[in-house]
Amino acid sequence: MADAANAAAAADQATSGLPQFDLGQWPGEMVWMVFIFAIVVLLFTRVFVPKVGGTIAAREDKIAGDIGEARRLRDEAETQSRAAAEELAQARARAQKLAADAKAAASAEASARQAEEDARLAQMLSEAESRIAAARAEAMNAVGGIAADAAAAIVQRLTGEAAGAAEVERALAGLA
Amino acid sequence: MEQFVIHKIVSFPPVVIAGVPVDLSITNSVATMIFAAAVISVFFLLTSAGKVVPGRWQAFGEILYDLIDKGMTGPMIGDRGRPFLPYIFALFSIIAVMNIWGIVPGQFTVTSQLAVTISLAVVTFALVIIIGFLRNGLGFFKLFVPSGVHWVMLLLVVPIEVISFCVRPVTLSMRLFGNMIGGHVVLYMFGSFIVALATFALTQGGLAYLGFVGSALSLGMVIALSALELIVAFLQAFVFAALACTYLSDVVNLDHGH
Repeated sequence: MADAANAAAAADQATSGLPQFDLGQWPGEMVWMVFIFAIVVLLFTRVFVPKVGGTIAAREDKIAGDIGEARRLRDEAETQSRAAAEELAQARARAQKLAADAKAAASAEASARQAEEDARLAQMLSEAESRIAAARAEAMNAVGGIAADAAAAIVQRLTGEAAGAAEVERALAGLA
Repeated sequence: MEQFVIHKIVSFPPVVIAGVPVDLSITNSVATMIFAAAVISVFFLLTSAGKVVPGRWQAFGEILYDLIDKGMTGPMIGDRGRPFLPYIFALFSIIAVMNIWGIVPGQFTVTSQLAVTISLAVVTFALVIIIGFLRNGLGFFKLFVPSGVHWVMLLLVVPIEVISFCVRPVTLSMRLFGNMIGGHVVLYMFGSFIVALATFALTQGGLAYLGFVGSALSLGMVIALSALELIVAFLQAFVFAALACTYLSDVVNLDHGH
């Protein structure tokens, strides 16, 4: 029966222009539309917008946080690398100083030892020289004796008689 | 115009509200409204998963959110527009879904009902007035008095401003209603040409076979117009929401920029 009424109403509307202008339908449609729209607005206000907006905000926060963290880590790494470079430079300077010191100490010791050696050698040289001089003087004295002996022997062979020691002495002194 | 006829699905006895009998029966129109609201709810419940790296559907939901937030309330109302984001988003969503669903052949187009577009326009208009008085008190009336205008000119300008403000709900509702009904009437006309010309060709024969050409052309028009209607459906939802933003901006930013 309701269908029949509907059909009659539809036929009526079809002949009298647009069904949209059938004011009898308006109150129900308006009340329903406002009611459903109110529910949709409420859902958007309470659920959807906070959820989606929260997600977007959380993502932006996360990205900003991650970038900040990455920047912090990079700065930290740069500081560390600068510190390491500085430490390296210090170590190198220390090593160079150490090497220079060692070299200086070694050369000082070497020159000291050389001077000592030189002095020892010079002393040994002078000792040797004085020994040689003494030996030569002794040898020279011995040469005098040998000459006297030789002269006495030569005189005995030539004259057949031994020459007195005093005479040989005199003759040698006269030669000298 | 049978496509616009409302018929009852579940009947309820009419109730009288403020002396007006209101038939709250579930009609095809009401059922489509409920369906649209359900589609929106399910879509946002499923897509607001809140993942940091969004899936395809979540990304779509967030694009819509950005469209409203960074495309409408942000630039049109400014920082004070944030509180209206849910309202504008809901307005855009429900109109867009009802418009687009109406393009599906055989489905009811709720937004082609003048009562529906008037309801949405009046609710928006009422919100503008309420916000206007809440934010500005009686300063709300400064809306009709442009600053820096000589008082003689004001005699002319103020009535114009008042009229242009008062016709807003009318233009808002008529624009959406007109776009929707116009598109569907044209689609209906070309659709009936398809059948009429083909029937004519089949029954008459001979030269009347040329009717098939017209029938095919009409079919092409229906396909092309359906694509156009899809754009119109989205665009009209956008326009409705954007105008709501503009009207809200008028009253929210009344103290500066006027």
